[in-house]
Amino acid sequence: MRWLTLAAIAALAVFLAGQRVVLAQQPTEIVSVLRPGPLPVTDPFDPAWDEAPAVDVPLGPQAMTIPSLLKLSVPTVRVRSLNNGDQIALLLEWADDTRDDLTVADQQFRDAAAIQFPVGQELPNICMGAAGQLVNIWHWKADWQRDIDQGFQELVNQYPNFFKDFYPGGVTGTPPFTYPTDFDRPEARQFQVGWAVGNPFSVPQRPSPVEDLKAIGFGSLTHKDRQEVGGRGVWRDGRWRVIFTRKLAAPDSESADLRRDQVPVAFAVWNGANQEVGARKQLSGFYTLRIQGQERILGLPRNLVGWLAAGFIGVLAVVVVTLRFLRRRAAAGI
Amino acid sequence: MPRVFNWQINREMEYPYPASPPERQFAAVFDINKCIACQTCTLACKQAWTSGRGQEHMFWNNVETKPYGSYPLAWDVRLLEMLGPQTWEGDTYTGKTIFEAAPPGQVALGFLPEDVDWAHPGLGEDEVYGVVEGGAYFGIPHQVWFFYLQRICNHCTYPACLAACPRKAIYKRKEDGIVLIDQTRCRGYRECERACPYKKIFYNGVTRISEKCIACFPRVEQGLQPFCTVNCIGRIRINGWIHTPDKADPENPVDFLVHIRKVALPLYPQFGLQVNIYYIPPIHVPTKFLRQMFGPRVDKAIETYRKAPEDPELKGVLMLMGATERWVDKFRVQGDYVYGYDERGNELVRVPLKEPIYLRPVYDRQFTVYRHNIT
Repeated sequence: MRWLTLAAIAALAVFLAGQRVVLAQQPTEIVSVLRPGPLPVTDPFDPAWDEAPAVDVPLGPQAMTIPSLLKLSVPTVRVRSLNNGDQIALLLEWADDTRDDLTVADQQFRDAAAIQFPVGQELPNICMGAAGQLVNIWHWKADWQRDIDQGFQELVNQYPNFFKDFYPGGVTGTPPFTYPTDFDRPEARQFQVGWAVGNPFSVPQRPSPVEDLKAIGFGSLTHKDRQEVGGRGVWRDGRWRVIFTRKLAAPDSESADLRRDQVPVAFAVWNGANQEVGARKQLSGFYTLRIQGQERILGLPRNLVGWLAAGFIGVLAVVVVTLRFLRRRAAAGI
Repeated sequence: MPRVFNWQINREMEYPYPASPPERQFAAVFDINKCIACQTCTLACKQAWTSGRGQEHMFWNNVETKPYGSYPLAWDVRLLEMLGPQTWEGDTYTGKTIFEAAPPGQVALGFLPEDVDWAHPGLGEDEVYGVVEGGAYFGIPHQVWFFYLQRICNHCTYPACLAACPRKAIYKRKEDGIVLIDQTRCRGYRECERACPYKKIFYNGVTRISEKCIACFPRVEQGLQPFCTVNCIGRIRINGWIHTPDKADPENPVDFLVHIRKVALPLYPQFGLQVNIYYIPPIHVPTKFLRQMFGPRVDKAIETYRKAPEDPELKGVLMLMGATERWVDKFRVQGDYVYGYDERGNELVRVPLKEPIYLRPVYDRQFTVYRHNIT
């Protein structure tokens, strides 16, 4: 058993070393263009996005853990980024013949995309992070987007002729009832257990189509207490275009701080029509996101250096004026 | 992959986690022979737990007619066909379990049902009638029999749902072995539903996460049997804490039926989950069919069950079924009665081994009415 473990670790090390080599050979940098003023965060087809250089990021099927994806269905994702010094936005674009944005029936799975950043300085060598190597994941979901665009999706959206004459306990309204409004009283939610316990998938109020998550390894993905990532996805002519946006500054210690000129970043895409969900996905290796306007001087953020320089000049001026004043008093013999 | 011992197939097998038995294990015995498929269990469960929006298709407890009924559609025959030939040598299973037959990239062999598969819970109900006078119009493999199969989650010792969840959102409770889905951690991946061979995981399209039978744990914690057991009008069910065969307690009613008299058998033991719901097989069904469902001990179980009238202890436990809503830890037969006790040894119930018969005149002079026959 021990030999088997050692062999597995050795194989993993060789695999990862190989990954690094491959990554080093292809363009691995995405530039977030500094563009003062409001960012185009609501329309993924806004011409302003053409100002950002597009990088085609190759994806591979997830095969590190079970369940795994056996057959790749989305080979690349096109990435662009803009920032205005305060906020950053990334645009992910990929080809998908079907828009899968309902998850009511058993066999329905959503289209989705995610961006992953390491939270600390250290680059996790395994996807989903590891113990002591927290990662911050922004996960956009097509069904959450539809909830926002068209109202919370449920049975009547999948089964237009759905009818039910009675629900127990505090449900208001008349058959076949409206969800979620007729189920708003706490006692009416006793059978809507996911909603009652606050599971983010079940709570019908959707502040954002993008879930802000953290992870420290396979199976540890967790909804963050603070949800700070916004976005919008639109499917048009067989392609998804999805915007992710957040302030550059980290809102909490579980989020990636993007006030840096170079940030490692990785991507993943799910094709719902291929029953892809969770670990059944395609993903990229780590890329470098170079954020214009966050360059550092002597290892310090550019604006911090500016403030320090201004402060230094100010202090110097006060000192010079004071010295002159003292010298004048001394010369006058006071 | 770790290896665990599964006594129901009498051998070690592969399972993603090492064995971690709970302090005690929730179990039940259902006597198929006594079921009339009235679905009172089904509705008791439905009313208690699955009356919400998105739970319309859910029957954590269901009763289906065999051989043609199934819910979800063809849950058993689809998997049996995927699994291929299932061979036994004596009490030892020599075929593959669903873990050993797992395809690449999955922990277990399985399939994900679709919404239409959940749309007909009563399909095949009461089908296959007796041959009418003059013979059957056409020939089918099963000429004259059917039986009812009562199904809840098996709260398996080696659950496939738990093994398949990549987030460990499913857990087996240390205190009673009940298998639950953490409703705060579930993200609706449906890996559990794909893996559960009994298809007792239900996706809720409104809350977008999965749900399952909770073994009425709030009742179990109070020393009460689940709703499906206590509402059974045919008194076909009894719950208990089951032990492994080497630690069987002859005074424990479930141990007695499973390990001592061996009349109660696991459903599809070859799947490899070491289930904790046991069935007394129907005595009138061809044992060739039953051997596929309940394993190689079927013939002996039926033989023993048929002799119950001459076996006071076996008769006693069968009479205890449905006799109390309390959880019976021990039983004893003394004289013409069977006694059920709780874990502190307090008497919960006493039942006569033979139901007394009272004969009264058809016409009641005092009330000037005619009586009907009642039982």
